[in-house]
Amino acid sequence: MKEKINNFLESDLLEKYLLGETTLEEKHQVERYIAMYPEIREAYRELEDNLETFARLYARKAPEGLKNRITLSIRNQQAGRKRFIRYAVAASIATLFFAASSVFFWNQNQHLQHENAMVTDQIRVLEADMKEQLEDVRNQFIVLNNPGTRKYMVSGNKKARDLKAIAYVNPIKKLSYINVRNLPQLPEDQCYQMWAEVNGSMVNLGILRDIEDKDKLMALPYGEKALGYITIEPKGGNNTPSVQNIVANIKY
Amino acid sequence: MSTLLEKHIVELLKESNDKAISLLYEHYGDTLYGVAFKVVRNEELAQDVVQESFIKIWNKSHTYDASKAKLFTWLFRITRNTAIDKLRSLGNKSDKEIQMDVSDVYNLGVEGIQPELMDMRKQLDKIELKYQIVLEALFFEGMTQQEASEELDIPLGTVKSRLKIGLRELKKIYGAASIVLFYLLQGL
Repeated sequence: MKEKINNFLESDLLEKYLLGETTLEEKHQVERYIAMYPEIREAYRELEDNLETFARLYARKAPEGLKNRITLSIRNQQAGRKRFIRYAVAASIATLFFAASSVFFWNQNQHLQHENAMVTDQIRVLEADMKEQLEDVRNQFIVLNNPGTRKYMVSGNKKARDLKAIAYVNPIKKLSYINVRNLPQLPEDQCYQMWAEVNGSMVNLGILRDIEDKDKLMALPYGEKALGYITIEPKGGNNTPSVQNIVANIKY
Repeated sequence: MSTLLEKHIVELLKESNDKAISLLYEHYGDTLYGVAFKVVRNEELAQDVVQESFIKIWNKSHTYDASKAKLFTWLFRITRNTAIDKLRSLGNKSDKEIQMDVSDVYNLGVEGIQPELMDMRKQLDKIELKYQIVLEALFFEGMTQQEASEELDIPLGTVKSRLKIGLRELKKIYGAASIVLFYLLQGL
């Protein structure tokens, strides 16, 4: 133990440590020894005192004004730091604000894009719808205006005597329309459904709603010697016509 | 230097109270200036070194650990290293390369010396020149013991022993300085 302490004191580690010239490993070793051995602790204290004594021997009157220079530069640095902190706080707030507004605008942009897509879709659908309706109106005009158009009066059979409809057929333009003018009242659980037999196949033309517009023309698929039927079907319509429930047929 | 004063300064430093700088300068300014001057050997450079050192002391005050070193040891290390770095950065090292001019030790520029400092200076005579040279080389020139051995052309073992004896010799001055201080205080 004694030898170990002596060896340590003989080495120049303590002096190097005093001046802060040890490696990290040496530093830890010296600090461990100082903590463990009172003799080394005492030697180190003595070295520190000696260093101060030695350094004070070289003391030299510092020039006037040096103290002010030092105080001023430290104050400036502090003021600079405070300024920097103020700027940093302001910059942080600004950054947060921009981040928040970016998120807000991004969300809004997404929303608008979505809305835009929806509106574009709607316009496309409307356009197609309009074209279809225009085409329909044009055809109606042709049918009604063309001298070659034949007009058939359709009446209901005994199951629906009050059923009145007018069919317009133009074999040249290959267009046919029907105008259902009157439909007798049916029980709640029944409805009228329209069919057409064209070139040997049965086409479902859908359920006839209550007649809102008596002048409305409904297109019929055109075919040579085609047959149109109106049947009474259960509410909601049927896939195939119930032949026994035919209330009117239209030859065209 | 009273331990109480040291504690007070350290507390002020930790609180970032700039009174600490005033107190440090009052109690250690001349010594640190002397250390800086001893290393760079130029008044203007020494002033710059002291200024930079004080700024470092201020900025690094949170790293000071009173359980590991006296306040002065810490201040000395910072000033000495700043001075050595200054010299190196100026590329002056070759000019400065150990010219252990004996007159340099004594040539002090009398005008700047306070009477009590002159008293301290006289104390230096009590240490043999060979010890002074080794102590200066190691403390002020930033040399390792190996470098000092080569520069001074003395064996490494001799450098080691002169350092140890030189430091021990300082005890004599330490005791004497207390007496000087005692008389100075009496005179107040």
